[in-house]
Amino acid sequence: MNFICNFPFFSILLSLFSGTICSVLSAKAAKLVNRVVIVAVGIMSAILLLYLLSTGEPFVYWMGHFPAPWGNEIRAGVLEAGMALFFCIIMYLSMAGGAHKLFGEVVENKHNLYYILVNLLLSSLLALVYTNDMFTAYVFVEINTISACGLIMIRQVGRTIEAAVRYMIMSLLGSGLLLFGLCIMYDLTGHLLMSNIKESVGLLMANGEYPIPLIVSVALMCVGLCIKSALFPFHAWLPDAYGYSTVSSAAILSSLVSKGYIFLLIKIIYRVIGFNIFNSTRIIDVLFVFGLMGMIFGSISAIRENDIRRMIAYSSVAQIGYIYMGFGMGTQAGMVASVFHILSHAATKSLLFIAAIGLTDVSGGSRKLTDLTGAAYRNKWAGAAFMAGSLSMVGVPLFSGFISKLLFSQAAVQVEGKMLASLIVLGISTVLNAIYFMKTVIRIYTSNRESAYPSVTFRDMKSYAAVLICFMILNVILGVSSQPVVDMIQLGLAMFD
Amino acid sequence: MYPILLSILFPILAGLFLLIRYRTPLSSRAGTAKRKTLVILTGSFLIITVLLTVIAIFTAKEGFTLFYLTETLPVYFRIDKAGTLFSLLAVVVLLCAGFFSFEYMKHEERESRYYGFYLLLFGVLNALCFAGNLITFYLFFELLTLTSTPLVLHTGSKEAVMAGLKYLFYSLCGAYTALFGIYFLYKNSVTLAFTAGGVLKASAIAEHGGFLLAVAFVMILGFGVKAGMFPMHAWLPAAHPVAPAPASAVLSAMIVKAGVLAIIRVVTMFGRDFLRNTWMQTAWICLTLITVFMGSLLAYREPVLKKRLAYSTVSQLSYILFGLAVMNEEALAGSLLHVLAHGFVKAALFLCAGAIIYKTGKTRVEEMRGIGREMPLTMWCFTIASLGLIGIPPTGGFISKWYLAIGSLKSGLPVLAVLGPIVLLVSALLTAGYLLPLTINGFFPGANFDYDKLQKKEPCKLMTVPILILTVLSVLVGIFPDGIAPVLALAGL
Amino acid sequence: MGPNLLANYGEAVSAILFCIGFTNLLLQTNLIKKIIGLNIMDSAIYLFLAEKGYIAGRVAPIVVNGVTSTEAYINPIPAGLVLTGIVVSVSVTALMLSLTIRLYTRYHTLDLDEISAQLKREGK
Repeated sequence: MNFICNFPFFSILLSLFSGTICSVLSAKAAKLVNRVVIVAVGIMSAILLLYLLSTGEPFVYWMGHFPAPWGNEIRAGVLEAGMALFFCIIMYLSMAGGAHKLFGEVVENKHNLYYILVNLLLSSLLALVYTNDMFTAYVFVEINTISACGLIMIRQVGRTIEAAVRYMIMSLLGSGLLLFGLCIMYDLTGHLLMSNIKESVGLLMANGEYPIPLIVSVALMCVGLCIKSALFPFHAWLPDAYGYSTVSSAAILSSLVSKGYIFLLIKIIYRVIGFNIFNSTRIIDVLFVFGLMGMIFGSISAIRENDIRRMIAYSSVAQIGYIYMGFGMGTQAGMVASVFHILSHAATKSLLFIAAIGLTDVSGGSRKLTDLTGAAYRNKWAGAAFMAGSLSMVGVPLFSGFISKLLFSQAAVQVEGKMLASLIVLGISTVLNAIYFMKTVIRIYTSNRESAYPSVTFRDMKSYAAVLICFMILNVILGVSSQPVVDMIQLGLAMFD
Repeated sequence: MYPILLSILFPILAGLFLLIRYRTPLSSRAGTAKRKTLVILTGSFLIITVLLTVIAIFTAKEGFTLFYLTETLPVYFRIDKAGTLFSLLAVVVLLCAGFFSFEYMKHEERESRYYGFYLLLFGVLNALCFAGNLITFYLFFELLTLTSTPLVLHTGSKEAVMAGLKYLFYSLCGAYTALFGIYFLYKNSVTLAFTAGGVLKASAIAEHGGFLLAVAFVMILGFGVKAGMFPMHAWLPAAHPVAPAPASAVLSAMIVKAGVLAIIRVVTMFGRDFLRNTWMQTAWICLTLITVFMGSLLAYREPVLKKRLAYSTVSQLSYILFGLAVMNEEALAGSLLHVLAHGFVKAALFLCAGAIIYKTGKTRVEEMRGIGREMPLTMWCFTIASLGLIGIPPTGGFISKWYLAIGSLKSGLPVLAVLGPIVLLVSALLTAGYLLPLTINGFFPGANFDYDKLQKKEPCKLMTVPILILTVLSVLVGIFPDGIAPVLALAGL
Repeated sequence: MGPNLLANYGEAVSAILFCIGFTNLLLQTNLIKKIIGLNIMDSAIYLFLAEKGYIAGRVAPIVVNGVTSTEAYINPIPAGLVLTGIVVSVSVTALMLSLTIRLYTRYHTLDLDEISAQLKREGK
């Protein structure tokens, strides 16, 4: 076995232990450790990705050399490695972009705690991405929840604590359902490793045994993960949690945490149940309908919102609806579109959150849209970045959002029964997106002479502007040369079988 | 490949340069010297762009693929005859309006932003005209909306912002409606490159021809938003008048024509033979006739000059669409001639309106009594251009409407073949009704008019010369239609 | 359905308990009651697992008297899962309780809706 095959395990452990180490370090050292770990994990994932692309074969890594079905396994394919790399990039940029705000938002002596949570979050995300064991997945889902909750409440304001409680409650409901579904699955198949469960499920389905418990178990797992990833109508906790936490937390939560759960769901669909069996159930229709509803109601809520960060948060609800709509189509093309949208949304949403903080900072800290008039002139980079993000969200060509809409529509055209519904809702949702994002963009670009707020220049915020530029480049890369990424997603999904 | 690329990239880069270089508004006192450099810079950029475009039109024979958006969707450029026609119109209109704005924009703020977006718009328009397949076309169609919005909301007043938003939403809605059509077309066609005679697979036509007709109709409705076709025309009278006058000229003369070009492309893609004599053609003709009549009627009742001209655009654009919808040689020739005629005339009219606003500040028609005595040259141009729009020989409008009527009568469609020319005629009368009173009251304000108040208010040459050029061109189109005949022999349409 | 339900009464009970816990966690407004609901829900799952792991007539998998035949013992894995699950649920409960304390010291109430209303009134 090649040395590179150890990398998934290394990256999980590295981020896990660095989290523990951070607790005894000073804030500054913890920050350094955090950055170094994210970069190191990113590099390892990149090497792993290249290695997997060259071999073209996924590999399974036995923890402690116990063979299946007894041992715990890690599995890495192109999609896993690519996701890990992408998560690292987004996380690094989000942390760097929100670093200057941390001092105002978090009590000084709690900074190292913040980095512990981020490291824990990274490790749990990596574990969710790489693990091949259902129960391990459950444990890391819980770790993910706890660290995400910590990230929300580290900014000690009444709103965030309340949001954290609401987030915890919804998450616990979700993980309860996930665990229950998992236990039923274990009961039916006698396995916890994904590959073994899939074999047994295939046999059970072929023999027509236990059809109802099987469906119940799959449904429970799906609903659990839907709740955790804030699919409409389980999104009540989301605006407060994203809207009032620190900016890095909001960016990470919206672009990574919910995506981790969605990625786990993809793994369950492909690796546990089997894509074809999953598509033969009615669950995909339910996902499809809720996805469509989320796309519309999320946008409507966003239109009615007068707080820029809550508006962006509600837009996440709509975007998650897109992803579930892709699942609901029940085709490979729909799945590819969904996975691409995970990437595109993560790159765009964190950009929007970080740009929004730059705009509110030059408007006296107010987040009301009315106070943001002309903010783009006071902070030019944030304004440009917000505009780029908005254009991507609306789906203007040359940005990543356009490609995901293109992929969704191409996928929709191939599905006879769901074609019209998905295209119509895609159109409506696009227009709704345009309404609130363009409204905001025009507002921040409307010059306002009365404002007494000072402007900031490039010199005042070099690192912040650099982060915004990186995000914009990432967005445009996804939008212009999407083909290699789509190829990689297809290859990765093919490796799942 | 380089001439095309240069003609697209140069104005875009120049526009970006202006936007970045002159970020802060010029202050009134220290700004005069700076303003001069800005104007000279923009002027030279404009001229270079025009030269590059003309070179591209006459040298680039072959298409090229810039890059692949996805595996099967190339961004592909190729200059064909339709593209040449629209691009030439764009060159003339943008050059004239651009030079006009050097004087006009003196009293507006944030000039640099205006010029920056103006140049960006030029580049995007070029790209639109030179696009070689539907997806590239769509890409720049969206960009056109985005780059023209800042021109609409330039003044930043509440009215302008609302109009800009309205423009944005209508255009985006239309474009997305069309985009969904593109997906279906993509599924059922051999290629998305513009090909003479249609690209539909024979099997697709046989299997679900009716459905494809509906798709074609939806696409035409979607792109028709940009061309102000009923029922999605409401943005046009709101958005065009609030922009600065030269920008209104560009919007009315050129940007809406992007919708026309889009519909030409759609008709090409589906093939005329496939669309002719179907319910879809009937429905489309009905919509255009409604728009023609309604636009004229609304213009007739409108007291504000620029708004009146905007309503007139709604009406005149549907003349062009009517010709496209009839789909025979004569009607198409009429349409394309009208593209040119209306482009020159409407640009000239808006520039005249701009000159009046600039010199007198008058916006309403009834305030303009006696204006012909104050600004004779401007009003003469206005009058000649008006005659062109009404369709009085020997102006361009006459020839184009003649062809439209002939085409309609020859088409053999039940009822509509006759109804069409009647509606066109009534609308022409209405056009006379809403444009000529200005001339008449302008030159002959009546006996009770106080002639002593009149002052000489003729604007400077930077304003009159572009108007004059456009007016002369609008007449030349009528006198020498044969000169542009080779352009009109559109391949495959 | 009937005989199946009777034969699997343990699973049925755990499913009912799960539902009770779930609805409590979802619908109670009092935070402490919510946490109790959470614990009921988790315990129901552990009950389910333990029930599945038990095989009638066998003993816990601890080797005494040198009997190594696998036939003599019950499946140890569910027990391991239950242990892990308990650890998770303890930590989650602790976190929830600490959050509750923070909210209580700030707003002097355990009613989540009441707290939301207060936050709205503060307007922050």
